[in-house]
Amino acid sequence: MSERLASELGPQEQPRVPPSASQASAPGRSAHWDGPTYYGRPQLKAAPFNNWVVGAYIFIGGLSGAAALLSAIADRARGHEAAPVVRRGRFLSMLAPTLGTSLLIYDLHTPQRFYNMLRLVKGTSPMSLGSWILVSFSAFSALGTLAAEAARWMPRFPWLRRTARATQLPAAVAGAGMTTYTAALLSATSTPLWAAAPQSMAVRFGSSSLAAGAAALALGNTGRMGRTLDKVALLALAAELAATCVSHNTYRRTGVAPALNGEWGKVEKLGATGLGTLLPMGLYAVSLARGRSPMLSTLAGLATLAGSATLRVSIMAAGDESANRPDVSFRFTQPRNLPKRWFRR
Amino acid sequence: MDMPARAAEEPQSRLDRMIPNESELTAGVRIEPGKSYGFFTDTTLCIGCKACEVACKEWNNLPADNIGLTGQSYDNTGALSANSWRHVNFIEKAGACGVRDNTQAPFQSGWLMMSDVCKHCHNAPCLEACPTGALFRTEFDTVVVQQDICNGCGYCVPACPFGVVDLSELDGKAHKCTLCYDRLKGGLEPACAKACPTDSIQFGELEDLQERAEKRVAQLHELGAANAYLYGAPGSPGATGDLGHLNAFFLLTDRPETYNLPPAPTRAANRVAPSLGTGLAAMAGLALAAFAILSGRD
Repeated sequence: MSERLASELGPQEQPRVPPSASQASAPGRSAHWDGPTYYGRPQLKAAPFNNWVVGAYIFIGGLSGAAALLSAIADRARGHEAAPVVRRGRFLSMLAPTLGTSLLIYDLHTPQRFYNMLRLVKGTSPMSLGSWILVSFSAFSALGTLAAEAARWMPRFPWLRRTARATQLPAAVAGAGMTTYTAALLSATSTPLWAAAPQSMAVRFGSSSLAAGAAALALGNTGRMGRTLDKVALLALAAELAATCVSHNTYRRTGVAPALNGEWGKVEKLGATGLGTLLPMGLYAVSLARGRSPMLSTLAGLATLAGSATLRVSIMAAGDESANRPDVSFRFTQPRNLPKRWFRR
Repeated sequence: MDMPARAAEEPQSRLDRMIPNESELTAGVRIEPGKSYGFFTDTTLCIGCKACEVACKEWNNLPADNIGLTGQSYDNTGALSANSWRHVNFIEKAGACGVRDNTQAPFQSGWLMMSDVCKHCHNAPCLEACPTGALFRTEFDTVVVQQDICNGCGYCVPACPFGVVDLSELDGKAHKCTLCYDRLKGGLEPACAKACPTDSIQFGELEDLQERAEKRVAQLHELGAANAYLYGAPGSPGATGDLGHLNAFFLLTDRPETYNLPPAPTRAANRVAPSLGTGLAAMAGLALAAFAILSGRD
């Protein structure tokens, strides 16, 4: 529409009123914010993370952690039969120390000072806790992988195999931390979408990681190992779906749901939940009912991995939208959303 | 007119030295480590001159953010940022293009102005989120970013419930109001408070300020401004969600959202334990189930 001269305006027509800082004086009780905003400007600052880089790290870190956890479980449960799966799990667990760490350092705005992350341990900062989880996970999985690979070449040294086995349990525990601490990291901010559902988002990230880990370990595997890993992936996907339902319910209750109406919200609903959770659940179920069809299982595994990555990137981007929209952030910080124990008046 | 007791000792207009404890002259308070200091910003006194913004930029050597016009009343700063540590909000309540009322309630009821700043929260979410320890609490009970430690991870930015902390594109570090840490160390009142011509921004010891603010609210209520209230003082809006009190607090006459302030901000660190605990418990359960499935007979 082109600019119009004031003389062209009809007698009833007013010039366009600039957005008032307080068009409404008080909010009603509706789900959408109808109270005042400051010229529609953001009330919060969105996280300055690169969503592709940090989203990729969260996916890779979760995948690595889950691979370490599942290979330790497979080793304990199946012993020698699981050896190929355990070996693949060790290689997958090396993704976080190598690629994951590089992505994190790349996203720093002063990357040459990355080592300052290890100046202290701070219980109130999941980024500090997470740095230590990543460091310990990296140490255990790197030591375990090196020892296990060395043991293949030098079977005469039994201590190598013992070392590899000894690192499995600590790597699995740190791996469980790797799958979920990233959700705590996002939740412990003031970004409404991330802060609204701390618990269900942690379950969602963890189970999505476990599904991705099981899918990656099962890819190309035939026979019993492949079948049981498919079942683990199906179980994790079911847990993820349940956590997704709970978190979306919380989003509606706390008023941050409008932040998921945008493009990234659609990616989250259709991509992460539809194609990344429901579709592989169906594929796994059909495949298992037929006594495991390799093609269906492979398809399901790939969909699970893609869905797990999509979940992280879309949650990060939709979170930025929730921070940039004052209607969402004001609706979220109404006193009625305060947990009772925090309500100090 | 009441003049600080020491003011008569310094009659000259050009000084050849620093005045020791100058804040006693300008703010009536001696700055000593170990005590809590803060700002009380009384928005009913603000005239929107932006002297605070200018004084802050001058003292802290902050570059300009943008030199455009926003079209949003007289507010061309827009928001607090890495380079703007004071920001004056302008809210025109009587329609900009409509007919203004001839009679209005007292004390800036039709045109609100407020000088926004970092709140220096008691339980500061930015400080609690900082993984490097670059953000720390000073001996004056204020929150400051140490520029030689910050590695620009940016986690303090979404942690802040007020949208204050910002990363600079110029140097890749987090920046925000320091409550003039360097000036406090030299016994000087912060630049914005010293420059404020109407004493809308008052610097002082926190307990004194809170007492003064409550008296001011009572006085305004008496004068007919029934909607005056404190934001960020203990037990008032803004000091919710386990944040404790805010060391920089405000006297407002409209809903907090009007001034772009959250009515009930929360302490982000309180979400760490529920999130991490639930996540790890779920992973333990799933790991047990995976063990059962993997060791099962198929």
